[in-house]
Parts: sequence; C-alpha cells; structure tokens
Amino acid sequence: MGRGYIVQDDVEGYLSKLCEQKADPVTGLLIGQSSTQRDFVVMAIRTPQKEESAAAARNSVDKEWVTEHARQVSRMLPGGLSVVGVFIITNADAKDALTTLRQLLFAVENLISSEHLWDPADDDVTDCVTLHINPKTRKTVCRTFDIKDPKSVAKPADWKYQSGLCSSWATVSCSLNVDMLLPLPNNRTSTGNMEECLKEGLKAWAHQIESGLCLIDGKRLPEDSELTVGQRRNVRQTYTAQLLITTVRDENKRLTDVIEQCGGSVSVTGAIHSRAYLHSNKPKARLAEKLLKRDVVSTVATRVQMMLEELLASDQESKGKLFCLPHRIFCPLKVSGPLCVCDYQFSDEGLSEVTERLKEMLDIDAAEEDLDTRQEMTFEITGCDITPGGHRDMHACVLCPDCPPFCCLGVAMATAVALLATAASMLYLNDI
Amino acid sequence: MVVVDSETATVLRVKGLLEFRCQLDGTDEQLVRNVISRTFETLRSQVKSESCVLAVSDSPVIIWPNKDAYATPEEITPSTLCEDMHQWIQADEQESSGKKSSKKKSKKSSVASVINLRLMTEVTKPGPLSAPILTKTVLKSHFVSVTLPLDCVVCTGRSDTIKDACEQLIEALTHQLCEMEKVTLQNMKGMTLLVPEPVHFLLPEPKGLVTVVYPVGVPDSQLVAQRKELHQQFELPDDRPYFRRANAYHFPNEPYKDGYLRNPHLALTHPTLDNGKVYLVQGIYSYHHYMQDRVDDNGWGCAYRSLQTICSWFQQQGYVELPVPTHKEIQQALVDVGDKQASFVGSRQWIGSIEVQAVLSHLLGLTSKILFVSQGAELASKGRELANHFLTEGTPVMIGGGVLAHTILGVAWSETTGQIRYLILDPHYTGAEDLQVITDKGWCGWKGPDFWDQTAYYNLCLPQRPKVI
Repeated sequence: MGRGYIVQDDVEGYLSKLCEQKADPVTGLLIGQSSTQRDFVVMAIRTPQKEESAAAARNSVDKEWVTEHARQVSRMLPGGLSVVGVFIITNADAKDALTTLRQLLFAVENLISSEHLWDPADDDVTDCVTLHINPKTRKTVCRTFDIKDPKSVAKPADWKYQSGLCSSWATVSCSLNVDMLLPLPNNRTSTGNMEECLKEGLKAWAHQIESGLCLIDGKRLPEDSELTVGQRRNVRQTYTAQLLITTVRDENKRLTDVIEQCGGSVSVTGAIHSRAYLHSNKPKARLAEKLLKRDVVSTVATRVQMMLEELLASDQESKGKLFCLPHRIFCPLKVSGPLCVCDYQFSDEGLSEVTERLKEMLDIDAAEEDLDTRQEMTFEITGCDITPGGHRDMHACVLCPDCPPFCCLGVAMATAVALLATAASMLYLNDI
Repeated sequence: MVVVDSETATVLRVKGLLEFRCQLDGTDEQLVRNVISRTFETLRSQVKSESCVLAVSDSPVIIWPNKDAYATPEEITPSTLCEDMHQWIQADEQESSGKKSSKKKSKKSSVASVINLRLMTEVTKPGPLSAPILTKTVLKSHFVSVTLPLDCVVCTGRSDTIKDACEQLIEALTHQLCEMEKVTLQNMKGMTLLVPEPVHFLLPEPKGLVTVVYPVGVPDSQLVAQRKELHQQFELPDDRPYFRRANAYHFPNEPYKDGYLRNPHLALTHPTLDNGKVYLVQGIYSYHHYMQDRVDDNGWGCAYRSLQTICSWFQQQGYVELPVPTHKEIQQALVDVGDKQASFVGSRQWIGSIEVQAVLSHLLGLTSKILFVSQGAELASKGRELANHFLTEGTPVMIGGGVLAHTILGVAWSETTGQIRYLILDPHYTGAEDLQVITDKGWCGWKGPDFWDQTAYYNLCLPQRPKVI
C-alpha cells in the first residue's frame, strides 16, 4: 500500500495554469506536512525564472537552481510546513521525467536536511513525493521515494484533491528569549571565524531546546495524548506553548578549561516568535512539541545565517559592532485556514521588499496590508545627535568608529536598554 | 545552611546547572573580581526572576517560585502542603501524568522523605518581544565558561505549604550562589579558576543537614583550615571527621553505583534485654562477602571479606581515600611487610586477626587492638569491652577463630544481667545483594553466645579511629 497525498484543491488550479505556459519543463516544489497515517500538500511553488539564463538553458532543468530555490523557500516556512516533494510539468517521456524528479528530490531534501541543527527523530517520515504532469493530457503520475535510502525505488502513491483542507489545522506558538555568549578564537576574528563560533554555539543551544520541557496551554501533556479536543471544522485551534530548558553539561569539557584566551566575543540576545502548524487528523502532543522546537531552532539559525551572508557580501571587517538580526513577518496563505508563510525583514528594508520576495520565491501575491508584522518588534535605534557622516544607514545598524557611543536612544523595551548598557561597556575598548 | 530535625516531614532537594559565562577584558585583579562578582549577581537575579522554574522529578508538577508559587497541574495551589506532593510522584516507569491512584505512601516515622526538584529556566514569555541583536566585540581577552552545579536542601515541616517551600528554596539557591562566589574568589590565582561544588553533610542531632561549598579538585588534605573553621562553627569535636568529601550525606533515594549493600543491619529489629542497651557500629560500611567481584573465595576468603568490610568503613567515613583492597592486594601487603613469602600472592591461604591488623596498618596506616579469648565461652564476658569499643571507636570488629572469621557490628548487652547478643555480619554468604534474603536468613543478624564454638580460641581485631578531622 502506497502513501496517500491529500492536496488542497487550489493546487490543482495553480498547476493547471502552469500547464498553459509555453515553457517546458516547469519545475517546482510541493509544500505540506507528512505524518505516519497520511500526507498533506497545501501549496505548490514553481521554480522562479533565472534571469540571465539563455533561451536554450530555459528548456532544461537547472538542478542547482532548483535546490537553491528550495533552500530559500524552506527558510520561509514556519514549523509544520516543509518541502515534501517536487513536481515537473513536461511533455517529456515519463521515465525521463521520473529520473529527473528523483535527482531533484534527493538533491533538494539532502540540502535542506544538511542545514538542520537537530537530529532526525525516529518517528520522522522520510518518504517524499514526486509529481509528473503532462501538460497536454493533464495526466499526473505520483510516486514516492524514501530519501533516507539512496537506492530507493519509486513507489506509487495516491494524489487526491480536497477543499478546505487546512481550515481546521491547529497552530502552536510562543515567543522565546535567546541569550547566547560565545568566545571568538584567539587568531583572526574575521566573519568566517565568527560563523564557526556561531554555528557551534547554535548547535549547543539547539540541543538545549530539544531536551527542554514543553508545556502546551500551561500543561505538561503525555506525549501520546491528542491535541485537538472536540474538533470542529472551521474553528481556529490555537495553542500557546512554554519551553523550559536546563543547562546541559558538556561532558567533553575538562574542569581545567574554565578560563581560556579569546580574541573577543559574540552574543545573540533578544526574542523570536515561533510557530508550528499541525494537521487536523488527530495530531499528538509529541508532534506539536517536535515541530515547534524545530521551528524555534531554525528561525534563529536562519536569521543568524542571513546576517552572516549579509556581512560577507558587504565585507564588513569591523572591531566593535552591533547588528540587528532581521525580524519575522507572517503572510497568510489565501486558502482558508490559519496557515501562513513567513519572511525576514532587515531593519533597513520596507514592506515592499518583503512582498517582492514573497512573489519571487513563493509565487504569492500579497499586499502590504496583508502582512502580519506584529509578532516581533524591531529593536529601534533612533538617530544620533552628533553624526558627522549623518549615519542614518540602518542596515546592519553599524556603529562606525566615528560615531560616539549611544548618545540618544529611542528604545522601546527596558530589556533592550539593559542590553545596550552591557554592550556599550564592552564595545569601545579598541584603540582607533 | 538548614537543619533537619524530628519536626521535618519532607526534605526538598533542588539540583540544577547554571551557566556562568563572562568576558574578562583585562587581567587586572580587581577588574577580574568585579566581573566575576557581577556575573554571579546576574545569576542571582535569574534565580529570583519569573523565568526561574522548579520541576518536580518523576512527576508532572512544575512550580514557578517567583510567581507566587503558581504551579501546574491546576490542582496544586500555593497553599498545598509540601507533604501532599508525594501523591504526584511516580517512583517507577509509569507515565508521570497524573495522581497515583493508590493510597498515600505510609511514611516511616523517623525518616523524612526526599522530594527532588530540577532547577530550570523558562525561555518563553508572552510577546511581542524585541527581535534579536548580534553583538560582536573584538579584543584579545579571556573568556570564562563554567557550569555551576547547584544543589540545595530545604527541610519543611508538616504544615509548610508550597509557597513557604518556594521562599526557602529561592533563598537557599541565592545563598548558595553567594557561597560559590566567595569560594571562587578565594581560590582564584591569576587566570585560573576552580569550580565551586556543594556537598551535603548530615551532622549529629540537632544540627542536621548542612551544605558546604568546596572547590573542585582540591583534595581534602588541603582543606584542613576550612574544616577546622566548620568544626568550630558547628561545635563539633575536633578528633573525628565530619566534613571530608567521603562524609558526604548519601540521600536515601540515590542508588550506590558500586552495587554493594550499605548497612544491612539497619533493616533489623534490635533485641531488647533487661536493663540492656544496644551498642552499634557508627557510620556507613559496605557488605563484602564470598563470590563478589568475580572472585571465587568460597571456603577460604572469609577473613579477607571481613577486612574489606572494615576498609570500606574507613573509606566511607573519610579517613582514607584508598579504595577497598582486593584479595591480591591484601596478600601483597602481607608480603611487603615481611609477614608472608612471595608465593602467598595468588594463593588461597587463610588469614587471621593478626594479618588483618598488619594490613590495616600497612595499607591504611591504622592501628588496631587485638583481643584474645582462649575459649569461645569467654566471649560472653566481653560485653563491657565490646560495648566500649562501639561507643568510642564505633568501627566494625573482625573476629577469627578456629576455622571461621566473622564481622561483629555491635552488641546488645545488659550490665546488670550480663545478657549479651552479637550483631554479626557473615562473610560466608554466596548469594546476590538481596537485602531481604540477607536479613531473613540471618547472614546479617543478631546471634546469642552459643553462636561461638565454646572450646575454640578466638582473636578479635578492633580497629582504632585516627583522631583527625
């Protein structure tokens, strides 16, 4: 017996429209949630056009481009939603199409899982779906592969459309404080080294989150208990989670390694909003906990990664700096139900850049009014009194050596002030 | 430092690890001390904040001590009695999700029960909150990163509520952090720092349970001054140790890693004699007997096992750090003092009280008295001597005679009637560490004077306690 995919009916219309396009092949990603009993697909996203590609290249599948797109998309999915498969719309031979799909699927899934900071769980579903649609006949061929097994063969699977699929999905969310302080190595403290340290620190922090206690709506539920009680269609089920963590002793650390020389330090402090969606087919507390924890870890890791990419791109070699990580914005999907995708907005960007990215990456038409910006607050620094260079460049909130330290701040939160006090006391110790 | 007395109904023990991290941007001593103190202050605020959480082990109960003792599940309120918490604790592998359906545990009258709690941090807060910031400092400096092992004990009475307990627990935790700060700063030498570690000691009534913070890695021999101070503070005699690491209190619900039984005699009912009193070994020993440690010494090793029991007593009372010697090590010691030929090592030859005395002296630096009786019947008249021994020295006694060796753990003796019973720990037992079997079948039990061979001669080795702290 193969797997059964239940698909939001909007996806049918979307794929149909893609069939009418002249381009061949058209590839894309399938987004949804897999459980042991059933699999759900809520969205399909076509691979965006590569601008500089030659006309000839447009007719072949660029595997690297597809995987890079998948990686970007994966960052824009809250907990519970992930890339569950790939599709291709092509007149080509079914066998060739399946081979291409298989290659794409493994490349995509391997790249995405290589970036995870958590270990796979025993109850993770490792089957992913490939969909081949012939644009002329509209015939769809649906197969699954076990991506844990490189020798996996295609297994047939059901593909069924249903309306109102997500209307009664549950949402579990929380706002969570992050507070990390890590030493930088004693040699060159370039951005590259900072990346290493942050990756290690994030891994240790991710382990803490994974081993933490999870309360849902204030209660510690047994793992196998079902989450939704008295399920009714079209009723929003929202749950608030609390996470309790404890320090995990590093067994490898010798008692003598208490003080070490370092070349500086890096800290990440602040709060994030985390969210996970759960399918409506009797989800268990264990699943809610797993998906939420993974979202917590990936949202922090994603932002740090994005910040590092920015720094590398703009080549900021600096002595003492403070950087605002991008904050998370949610955009509801047009389908009825609680599902949202998300994006990260840097402090110097406007909402128009967000809507542009949503269109380019996720093929979503969203208006600025649709965006939910209220889940996280930006850390605000309002201009300096003495600004020889008129530093209004908020991008990365760079404090250049010319700018005297924190003369005036229009900061919203008391915690932020405390943070700045600590940061300021450490920052200007370099000699210029 | 808290006291456990007969009023105590429940002992609450909270353990947790706190990360101590800071950057030292200079090596000036005063600056370093300031940064360390400030970091400890941050940890103290953390413990007093609303994100501090206490999770009761083996139960679904979670308490926020700084939020007016708010707890989940909702049946637990700030005015719930501490001793009622036992209903929520599952001792074995059942799902710890709800109340036990069975009746309340019947408590032993004199032993306070222990509830273990874990110190945790809640990282979630109602939003929206400020998005994260990454701060980078570039400066050649030093980074301090320690995991502090917090371990506090609080004793609560029958009428104490969760709210009372929380106040005491938070106070104990902040106090311990202060102690840790003191010990850390005291032991700082330049750029090295020792990790402070709490150790609990059970002092004689009415002082009870006391917690001391010691620096990890510093041996007992270098902490004499601290122990002297503690002996003075608690008005303890200065000729026996109470605060060596080996004296650390072993909580009743913690298993021993080595698998040996401790003090099986405590499970017995002691005899009552007319005008008689019971004089017992003081402190903790392990039961060593035939066939343990994969050594088949059935038929020849009884004196060795008795000697091992004695060594275990000295080790666990903190007088020696040497682990309990093996048969070969015992034999080698006798060769080393010239008592036996080299071929003795690896043999199955018996030893007697004199050899036991020699090994205790050579390996552990201890002196022992030898008591000789020419006939077993005479042992009945040694009540006073044995009673005195257990009163002043309190060490286990090895008795060898004829063909058998045993360990005497105590006597019940009446000065007026002369009636006497001997508490015997028998090293001839070959079974598993089953307390029920050992006590039921008398492998550890009270024996009368007819236990001894009335015509054989016996030598007793009475180890003496060194007068040290």
